[in-house]
Amino acid sequence: MANRRIASRLVGTVSALAVALAAGAALAQQTTLRIFTGGQQRPDVMRQIVDVYQQRNPGVKVEIEVGGATSEQQQQYLNTVLSAKDTALDVVLIDVIRPAQWATQGWAEPLDGYLGAERDAVMARYLPAYREANVVDGKVMALPYFADAQFLYYRKDLLAKHGVEPPANWEALIEGARKVLAAEGNANLAGFQTAGAPIEGTVCTFLVPLWGAGGALVEGGRVNVATPAAQRALKLWSDMRAANVTPPNLAEIVTDRIRLNLQAGNLLYAMNWGYVWNRVENDADSQVKGRIGVVPLPGFVGGQPATCIGGWQLAVSAFSKSKEEAVKLVRFLSSPEVSKMQAIFASHLPVFPEVYDDAEVLKANPWFKDALPVVKTARSRPVSPRYPEVSDIIRTNVNAFLAGTKTAEQALGDMNGRLPRAMR
Amino acid sequence: MTLPRRRMVWIAALIVAANGFLPVLWILFTSLKTESELMRYPITWWPQDPTIANYLRAFADQPLPLFMWNSLVVATLSTVICVVVSALAAYALTRLRLPYRDLILQSILAIAMFPLIALMVPLFQTMRGLGLLNTHLALILPYVVLSMPVCTLVMASFFQDIPADLENAAMIDGCTRIGALWRVVIPLAGPGVFTAAILAFVNAWDEFLLALTLNSRQTMRMLPVGITLYQGEFAFPWPIISAALIVAIVPIAILIAVFQERVIGGLSSGGVKG
Amino acid sequence: MAGRLGPLERGERLLGFAMLTPAALLLGLVVVYPVWRLLVSSFHQLDQGTRAGTAPFVGFENYAYAFADDRFWGATLNTLLFVVITVPGAVVVGLGLALLANLPFRVKWPVRLGLLLPWALPVVFAGLIFRWFFEYRQGIVNDVVVALGFEPLQWLSRPGLAFFAVCLAIVWKTSSFVALVLLAGLQTIPRELYEAAEVDGATRWQRFWRITLPLLRPAIVVALIFRTITAIQTFDIPYAMTGGGPGDSTETLAMYIHKTTIDFLDFGYGSALAVLMFALSAVATSVYLRHTRRREDAP
Repeated sequence: MANRRIASRLVGTVSALAVALAAGAALAQQTTLRIFTGGQQRPDVMRQIVDVYQQRNPGVKVEIEVGGATSEQQQQYLNTVLSAKDTALDVVLIDVIRPAQWATQGWAEPLDGYLGAERDAVMARYLPAYREANVVDGKVMALPYFADAQFLYYRKDLLAKHGVEPPANWEALIEGARKVLAAEGNANLAGFQTAGAPIEGTVCTFLVPLWGAGGALVEGGRVNVATPAAQRALKLWSDMRAANVTPPNLAEIVTDRIRLNLQAGNLLYAMNWGYVWNRVENDADSQVKGRIGVVPLPGFVGGQPATCIGGWQLAVSAFSKSKEEAVKLVRFLSSPEVSKMQAIFASHLPVFPEVYDDAEVLKANPWFKDALPVVKTARSRPVSPRYPEVSDIIRTNVNAFLAGTKTAEQALGDMNGRLPRAMR
Repeated sequence: MTLPRRRMVWIAALIVAANGFLPVLWILFTSLKTESELMRYPITWWPQDPTIANYLRAFADQPLPLFMWNSLVVATLSTVICVVVSALAAYALTRLRLPYRDLILQSILAIAMFPLIALMVPLFQTMRGLGLLNTHLALILPYVVLSMPVCTLVMASFFQDIPADLENAAMIDGCTRIGALWRVVIPLAGPGVFTAAILAFVNAWDEFLLALTLNSRQTMRMLPVGITLYQGEFAFPWPIISAALIVAIVPIAILIAVFQERVIGGLSSGGVKG
Repeated sequence: MAGRLGPLERGERLLGFAMLTPAALLLGLVVVYPVWRLLVSSFHQLDQGTRAGTAPFVGFENYAYAFADDRFWGATLNTLLFVVITVPGAVVVGLGLALLANLPFRVKWPVRLGLLLPWALPVVFAGLIFRWFFEYRQGIVNDVVVALGFEPLQWLSRPGLAFFAVCLAIVWKTSSFVALVLLAGLQTIPRELYEAAEVDGATRWQRFWRITLPLLRPAIVVALIFRTITAIQTFDIPYAMTGGGPGDSTETLAMYIHKTTIDFLDFGYGSALAVLMFALSAVATSVYLRHTRRREDAP
């Protein structure tokens, strides 16, 4: 009798222990990964995507930390966290301009080891520009999440109403804008907006017309912006201001405010990134659904159009405590399947050329058909481990010019004075 | 009081109160407006369609209560430590016969008044080396030093007004020096201690630059930094930031409303004497 | 008596130094050691281009670059301008507020809170609040400007206007502290003095000039000194309001140091700039020390 009671108690204890151990093991296998993303990279869409990942990988929980509405604000925050070798973040979404800096600082975990034999095959699937942007000194520093470039958004209803064609060059854009603004007589309607505040996007506000005028930041191995092309670039913006096509407070405008203005129906032309499409077409409070067109940015008469490349990459933090799991997550996020989801839910341009032809993607973003050539020929901003300083020099001087604090000569002269040291 | 006099008093009260309240009131109104109302031009003053949606977003977008908790912990601990350390130093300098007393006092003040901003770089490096970045301690230690000159001066001036006989009497009765400090001097210098504590608390609560530099990890952010770095989907979400500002200001307002007499009284008797 | 200390005195000395030890330790950790580190870093190259682990000694190169750096001089000039404008500004406005607050009120709390609220707010909040005031389209300031019949002003994108707007925010925030200090001083002036002067036929202005101001002098000096020391370190309000813009027109020295270290991660140059900022503060601090020494010598 006693033996049986002891035996049953033993069995009970052992089973309880077994259950506890199994539960403990399951819990122990639960990894929590933390992704950092900026406010403008659709954290809500990322949440949907990582939920799919969590379903497929029950032992993994993914948290999303959102910070910094502009690229340089995000990097400033990340500077302090990563300089501290903080283990808080596992995966970080970084701008296309960052991999060189991250490689020098040792903040990103090189992925070659994790990709193993598949490395070359994996990298070959991406658009060349992103393949190059993410490989520093032969090592893969990050995998692309989505591609991006700057486009020209316009109110097709207003252009049609006044018989204006989408502009083939900047000069035509100014003419068309003047015509429409005069005819509409709406004090709330602005003609054109681009980034003018001292944020990362303002670097493109300078480089796009610079490239359009046939110029470049570096000529003959030296940094030189005291060139006619650079002056032509800045003159474009002063011409627009003089024609009242851009508002007087252009120097305050940040990227997302352009989208807000377009969405509220207060903007005729906008120079902005790919994400805007999804918001103007799908947001509940959008006043311009179905009335927006997208074309590549123009160049100057007799010149070639040019645009800035953008896009965001997924890096694994060198200080992460769960690197294996983080790399698995990154490979999922950087896959054609996820690229398609992003395209449909957020109008994020794909990094895989074949996704541009997908029927569902084209249904959500009809203009992607013409977008692929633009992304392929988009030009990149200077690659430098000191990029934050380079960017700061360019954007604060352009901002000063737009605000009227400096003349074009002064702004370009100051850039020429400081850029060589930053780009050494 | 003659009639023109009374009107003048009313106007004076209005000016001072308006100067203090109106800016905050405007933020309150902003926080109650819907986003579309805020994009309207010309702007509206009174909220047409008051909503608490912004407050809900403010709490959803960032861990606001966590920021407040961080600030509370850091401010409270640094205040307590600062008051204790300053009291000890002030007592030693005013009551005990030390050589080079003046020089020591001047040195303490000179060192403690070193701009913490200039120390941002080495403090960052030091805290990083000690593994203290993004911890409460990283800010508590500098904040103690931040308020040390004010607290020491305030308490020293209060101590000087307390006659030494009281302590001597206590010591004759068998008290140690420290016992006399604790049982006789501090209670009598109560208002001074309280003023010092309030000044230290407000200094720590309001500090921004070091908090931005040393503790920017989201889970460890202080309140002023958390709100300034508020980023939702928009570049500068005024509706949400206004709501967050109000949420942050309300406890401050309650605190000073409750303690207003003590604060003003403490500043009156102590602040000017230093 | 000179030479040998009695046991009582020696015990007192030991106790005294023991009581000073916590303060000394904290100052050592938070100020003295970092200052040493600051000086050392300023003579080395420590930036994003240098490989991790190396830090070449470069002598005075960082300082030489600072002296040739327009942006450094611009930031220093802006800082000095802020000091020159907002210190007297805050004291004048604070004096006005204190005089108003010193009138006999039946209901005291609106005035008290009106002074305490701006003082208790974090400085950076004042920056955010005033940034919203001066917004081009949605700001209430331009609303009033337009209502008065003028064109809306680009407060935050024109350098002169932006500077003015930042000064306004700083004065609003700091005048409350000055007002509180001066109010305390005002309340120590005995009523009898005013009454006697009134009997003697002095006008309100004469009473202010001959009684109030002189007796308020110590409090004004205290306010000036504290205000100056914090003004040199101006960071929060321009950071939140303009980010230093437009261009660099509202960038202070503290902001430039912050940008150099946290944005560019150039610790070497940032350290040199911080040493130069310390030099600026040292001048102000020595003024204060000279003042306290004089006051202690006075009977």
